[in-house]
Order: sequence, then structure tokens, then C-alpha cells
Amino acid sequence: MILLVALVAGMAVSLVLARIRKQAWGFPSLRFVWLVIIAFIPQLLTVYLPATRRLIPDVWVSVGLLVSQIFLLIFCWLNRRLSGMWLLALGLGLNFLVIAVNGGFMPISPQTAGHLVSQSILQTYPLGSRFGFGKDVLLLAENTRLGWLSDRFLLPDGFPYRVAFSLGDILVSLGAFWLMVSQGKQLRSLLERKEKVDEQCKQKRSTPLYL
Amino acid sequence: MKTNLARLFLFTQKINRQHVQVALALLALVLFVLGAGAPEGGPTGPR
Repeated sequence: MILLVALVAGMAVSLVLARIRKQAWGFPSLRFVWLVIIAFIPQLLTVYLPATRRLIPDVWVSVGLLVSQIFLLIFCWLNRRLSGMWLLALGLGLNFLVIAVNGGFMPISPQTAGHLVSQSILQTYPLGSRFGFGKDVLLLAENTRLGWLSDRFLLPDGFPYRVAFSLGDILVSLGAFWLMVSQGKQLRSLLERKEKVDEQCKQKRSTPLYL
Repeated sequence: MKTNLARLFLFTQKINRQHVQVALALLALVLFVLGAGAPEGGPTGPR
């Protein structure tokens, strides 16, 4: 959810900036969009769709999650020229790394998980098991590899929405925000370049042929 | 009925390739951030 908020916030800021500068608003010109849709299918089936996520064994869920993130990394590489994409890729890469070295799931400690659910629910999940139908696995901090990259951050107490997130998630949020905000700049430079080219063409046309 | 159809036809004519591309790119970004990160708060009960 926080990632979607970053995306929407970036879009809103980008729209406001375009309005202030009296410029046309531009959306990132992403290439190979179909790759993201394909990448999301394993996660859709194993994490998001209630009808299918109950049926798929955890081993396949972890494999699906890793494959999905590899596809997303390829997408980042193919769109690496967009500003902000490197930050998205870095965040995704860090999440991928910690998931890969911890058995295919994002580790979360019982202490952090205790802030998300009640103790009675938490007790039904043994250590090392998948936490609900999400992407997390319940692991003690001392048994977690690269624990500093795990889901260890929480929103401040005042927030109505409870969620744990990782350093990678923060970078992905910042990257999404940057990607959206920077589009106005990119569009402006493109328009300036187009104007220059148009001017050059006009000058060439106006030059008499015999010169 | 006829006017509704005519309106629908006019509306679909206004949707050009650029609109579809923007919608697809937006969908891709939403799916990307959902796929890259941790969107859920936690389970609501035992599995």
C-alpha cells in the first residue's frame, strides 16, 4: 500500500508541477510493459487471489516469487534510461537478495509481526512458516540472513494502516516517486529539442538553393 | 438507444493509441510496485 501511495503522490506532484510550469503532462514512456504483466501473474495466483493462493504449496509460492522478481529486474534493465528506474531496480534487487537467501520469502521477525496481528493469531504461526498468504516468512532475527534488508520497519503508531516494510520497499517507493516527478523534466527537454530541430529545419528551408 | 450507441461510438473514437499506452504504462507501474514490495499488513487469522 505504501508503494502505491508513493506512486500516486509522485503522479500528483508531477501533475501540479506541469500545471505550474504550464507544460503538457507526460507519463513515463515505459518499454516492454507486457513483461511486468507476465511477472505479476505468479504473484497474483500465489499471494493476491484468495481462490488460488490456498491451493498452491509454499515451495511453489517461493519459486514463483523469485521468478516474478527476476522478470521485474529484467524490465528495470530494459527501461534503465528512465530516471528513477535505477532506484526502483536497487530496491527491487535488495528485496530479491534477502528473499533469495532466506528460502524464497521475505523474512519478518515475531517482534515485528506482533505489531501487525494480535498475539493469539501470531501464536498459530510456527517459526519458519509462511506468514499468512503474503510474501513473508516468520524468522527469528538471529536466524535471518541479511536481516537489515528484511521487513523490519513499521509505520508510526498514529497510522490506521499497519504494515511492515523493508529498506528495499523504501527505495522502490522513492524510485516510483522520482520516476513520476521526473517525467515533466524529460518531456520539457524533449520539447526543447524538438523546437530546436524545427528551427533548424526552417532555417534550412529558407536558405536559397543556389547558395 | 440509437443516441446511446452514437455516443459510445463517439467516445471510442476519442480513445486514441496514446490513451491506451498511458493506461497500460500506469497498470504496469501499479503491478510493478505491488510485485516489488510488501503490500500487505499481515494475516487476519490462522491459515
